[in-house]
Amino acid sequence: MKIVVTPFIKIYQFFSSSSSPRCKYYPSCSNYALTAIKRHGGKGVLMATWRILRCNPWSLGGVDYVDEEIDCADAVQTRKNQLIGVK
Amino acid sequence: MGVILDPLYNIVSGVIVGIHKIFSPIFGADSGVTWTISIMGLVVLIRIILIPLFVKQIKSQRALTVLQPHMKEIQKKYKDDRQKQSEEMMKLYKEHKTNPLASCFPIIAQAPIFFALFTVLNGIAAKTPEGVSAPIARGFLKGEYLDSAAQATFFGAKISQSFLGTTDTTVRIVTVLLIIFMSATTFTTQRQLMVKGMPKIDASNNMMLQQQKIMLYLFPVIFAISGVNFPVGVLIYWSTTNLWTWGQQFYVIKRNPTPGSPAYEELERKRAAKKKQDGKDVNPTDTDSDQDQTPEAPGQRQQPKKKKKKK
Repeated sequence: MKIVVTPFIKIYQFFSSSSSPRCKYYPSCSNYALTAIKRHGGKGVLMATWRILRCNPWSLGGVDYVDEEIDCADAVQTRKNQLIGVK
Repeated sequence: MGVILDPLYNIVSGVIVGIHKIFSPIFGADSGVTWTISIMGLVVLIRIILIPLFVKQIKSQRALTVLQPHMKEIQKKYKDDRQKQSEEMMKLYKEHKTNPLASCFPIIAQAPIFFALFTVLNGIAAKTPEGVSAPIARGFLKGEYLDSAAQATFFGAKISQSFLGTTDTTVRIVTVLLIIFMSATTFTTQRQLMVKGMPKIDASNNMMLQQQKIMLYLFPVIFAISGVNFPVGVLIYWSTTNLWTWGQQFYVIKRNPTPGSPAYEELERKRAAKKKQDGKDVNPTDTDSDQDQTPEAPGQRQQPKKKKKKK
């Protein structure tokens, strides 16, 4: 699943980067899909589909990670710090 | 599959045949003009249906003016952490129950229509393996309508023919011209947005700008590659959509630009200059009410007009 879908998302991202950002969520639906599929395979595809359905003119959007505790900025920062600390 | 596709074919062909009925008495039932108007009418109808969404988005964009100080603060506070910056920005929008971003719904909503139109028009041009014309009826486009549409021309080119599916030089010329038109409208729309419509670019947006520049020159190539496979009718649809997008954006950039963009500053300057000319104090909170003002004789008080909701 990962091998099939990921290139399409990447191509989409390349082309969509020409227009101004439009996704109501952070990370964007395509980035969400990439992470979800990488982590959960087929289930990730369903997660991504659900996310795209939620991203509509009537939703307020917001911060929505595949796994909040792994992906959020603070967690990423902590990991980075740990890496530097190990060095 | 038919369960999903048949209603789509019915909608698309129904609208086309409906508009065709309206315009037949004026331009003639078999006239290419009538069929062209029918296809363009389909675009206009779809885009009119999508206008409320567009207005909604513009409104929430305008609401951002109030949030600007907060946004600047966030940008400054997290200038080294793009991710945190985006997170905080989204939280801010949610807190204020607004979101300036459009979501990809307006695009996704149009995709099935485009696909259905492509299939319906391709049906008109269908041939048997021996090369004998054998139109396939889809939805309401059948019988006499199908025969009429199969013969309809746009500047001498049959609307059901495509560049690769024909040896007719007229079709090829018209296809190329339409592809050039499509590229030109996309190009201008994009440039208009980049030059005037977007908030001033900071360093972090530079990569995006670079990518946009590449796309600017890549789009004509993509249109050329895909366009040669599409029937003239689909290209008419595509061109009309592009033209509409351009017009819509032109209107917004002129009348309701994104705060912080060059067009916004220009508009502010113009307003300030006009107020000065009218011998009035510049009142920055008053900017909303005089959106739709038309130039009037100086000295006369200008009545604030109600912004039109419906359009």
